[in-house]
Amino acid sequence: MINSHDPRMNRLGLADAAAPAAAKPALDQFETYEVFHQKKENAPFTYVGPVHAPEADVAFLFAKEQFSRRFACTGLWVVPTSAITVTPYVGDQESAYDALPPGAVWTGLEPADTTEAQSAAYSAGEEDYDIFHLKKRGKAQVHVGKVRAASGAEALQVAKAVFGEQRPVVNVWAIRSADILRSDDDDRDIWASTPEKKYREAISYKVQDRIDRFKNEQPQP
Amino acid sequence: MYGSASTHDLPTNAPTGLENEDPTLLATFEARIAKGEKIEPTDWMPALYRKQLTRMIEQHAHSEIIGSLPEGTWITRAPGFRRKMAQMAKVQDEVGHAQLLYSAAETLGKTREEMLTDLINGKSKYSNVFNYPTPTWADSNVISWLIDAGAIVNQLANAKGSYGPYCRALDRICAEEAFHLKYGHDAVVHLATGTKIQREMMQAALNRWWPAIMTFFGPSDKMSVHTEILMRWKVKMASNDECRNQFLDMYVPKIWEIGLTVPDEKLAKNEATGQWEFTEPDWEDFKRVINGDGPCNAERIAVRRAAEENGAWVRRALNASKTERKYVQPLA
Amino acid sequence: MTPQLDLLYRLADDQLILGHRNSEWNGLGPILEEDIAFSSMAQDKLGHSLQLYGLLHQLGEAEPDTVAFTRNAPQFHCCQLVELPIGEYDFSLTRHFLFDHAELLRFEALATSSFEPLAQVARKLRGELKYHALHANTWVKRLGTATDEAIERMQRSLDFTLPYALGIFETTELEPEIISTGLFVGEKELQARWLESISKVLAQTELQLPDVLIATPVSGGRHGEHTEHLQPLLDEMAEVFRLDPTADW
Repeated sequence: MINSHDPRMNRLGLADAAAPAAAKPALDQFETYEVFHQKKENAPFTYVGPVHAPEADVAFLFAKEQFSRRFACTGLWVVPTSAITVTPYVGDQESAYDALPPGAVWTGLEPADTTEAQSAAYSAGEEDYDIFHLKKRGKAQVHVGKVRAASGAEALQVAKAVFGEQRPVVNVWAIRSADILRSDDDDRDIWASTPEKKYREAISYKVQDRIDRFKNEQPQP
Repeated sequence: MYGSASTHDLPTNAPTGLENEDPTLLATFEARIAKGEKIEPTDWMPALYRKQLTRMIEQHAHSEIIGSLPEGTWITRAPGFRRKMAQMAKVQDEVGHAQLLYSAAETLGKTREEMLTDLINGKSKYSNVFNYPTPTWADSNVISWLIDAGAIVNQLANAKGSYGPYCRALDRICAEEAFHLKYGHDAVVHLATGTKIQREMMQAALNRWWPAIMTFFGPSDKMSVHTEILMRWKVKMASNDECRNQFLDMYVPKIWEIGLTVPDEKLAKNEATGQWEFTEPDWEDFKRVINGDGPCNAERIAVRRAAEENGAWVRRALNASKTERKYVQPLA
Repeated sequence: MTPQLDLLYRLADDQLILGHRNSEWNGLGPILEEDIAFSSMAQDKLGHSLQLYGLLHQLGEAEPDTVAFTRNAPQFHCCQLVELPIGEYDFSLTRHFLFDHAELLRFEALATSSFEPLAQVARKLRGELKYHALHANTWVKRLGTATDEAIERMQRSLDFTLPYALGIFETTELEPEIISTGLFVGEKELQARWLESISKVLAQTELQLPDVLIATPVSGGRHGEHTEHLQPLLDEMAEVFRLDPTADW
């Protein structure tokens, strides 16, 4: 048995030499969900990274601690990666919309919130899509708004008409709104105590006084 | 936590494969990097770029998850509430960093399953310093302060690299590491300026760790075709010697000012050249340890493997009851 | 001992010991992301205990570090549930589920405690505890409806853990006074609410709640009687601290 300096490991009882482990089965680590956070109220949701999880509810539990334990947060969205429709990336000065293959002709933006227009759109098989833009390579995708469309590909075309004037847009993501698991506004208090956890902030460790005191106590050469 | 000490560069005579790449695509790719733009996952990239970055980010991820173990050794014994909670948070952060980095590597095409399989079978490397033990609380503090300090030097350089997902992960990691560095320094200062027991424990730990610290950034780079290409592609951002010198510049004075000595009589800064001079680390020993013959190699791998095996039933259960979805690589 | 001290010591010791136990999983969890989540909750528990020891200090007890790191097992008031080794993940999750439901309900009740400083702490912790319960429920529901292997493991853990969990509600001689002074609604009431709360979650799974009426609670912890696991835990926790308890670490 391996004798460790770590009492926890000694409790595990680790064998000295083990045979090679079998390769992990496919999806042993699950699929990924992409995570978006909201830094403060009314700020747009911004991409933070993926978590591996079997389902959205578990992805949410994971995302909450992996992406919002250290910094202020007021909301969190998780989406299966496979549910996101993506444009190619273009250069930092260009627009990804220009690179979109020509698609369905879009006939102009209807007043989005009138019940009549909405129910007509829905009965025509359309749904809400959330649109995200990347402004610069290496940065993060940011939520810009919603469109109504019948598919992810069509949502990109509609987004081009609505948001296409914006520059630069290096990359666009379209996500069917129903595919997003969103934190509840009533549950914002799950982040309420984050700022109080000072023990994990650099600012809590001020040691200069102690160093100065130590130096002063040393015999002068 | 990471140092170039883990990166097994390709043999200098290995083919670069560049002659097989489409010259137009290669020119566009290189022009983008030269302009200072980042490369994103769905962009065209040369095979060598993908291979080297995958290797580097994967090793970095392994270094985080294995790197959580030497400090984790003291997680149940940290003295007092302040240290106990911070030690937990720090070890947790290292696991979090591994998660971020595995995801970044995954965007290049290697799945997390494959990376973890390679780790527990000893096929992938990780930062060599974590093959050394932490027999006292002070050893853990040396890692928290000085190994993290070294890692930050490295990571800040790499954060200016060319691959978007890696840069995003590193930005987040560096923001979190600010706490690690201050916490580690605070803990070391408390011991170094404390009671006799504390001071002796601290000096002994520093003496034990100094040789490993000096190898953290790896041996001097041999300039080769590969090195030249990887620097042009902003995969390798600073030479090992530059990083080591920067680290010594920043931290040796801080070690000295709290009354600790560095166990190397030759260590001194040559003010004329701006370079630190020191006893050359034992690179033969370094190679021996990196190849498996260090004091903790077997334990580190055994622990990771036990964690994977003990958790297998949990993952099986979750996998069996979930909605079927097609696997796609994480997007960014 | 006053009713306030009696109650606070029980709460604080529970949180300290369980937070310590759960921190043992750090780096050993079944999934990277879960490793992180479980560690956060262990840190939260440590944080809760620190706040409660802080209240005790205001009432004239020693400093939190001294109280936490220098007492021996017979001086601890935690229930035996929290002392048990972490075992396998099914046990640790089951303990987390059973304990955190009680904790959430306890602090909900304490939010209106007549001891205002405690009520304040209780109100502040609400959001954190909500996440803990969400985490526990999600896991119990997932594993309790998954493979036969997982259901069997969870059922075995539930059968084993329940009598210990009933020990959470062990009362002391001061219970009547604790209730009559409005400090807390009392353990009996808490247990009833807890039973209802965990039953609702378990009803959504294939797990069977053992008959609480015939189970014998594992008690004694509130009176300083502990399992053989507590003293080694304390020795390990204080190994460095006790090298020099007067030193500044």
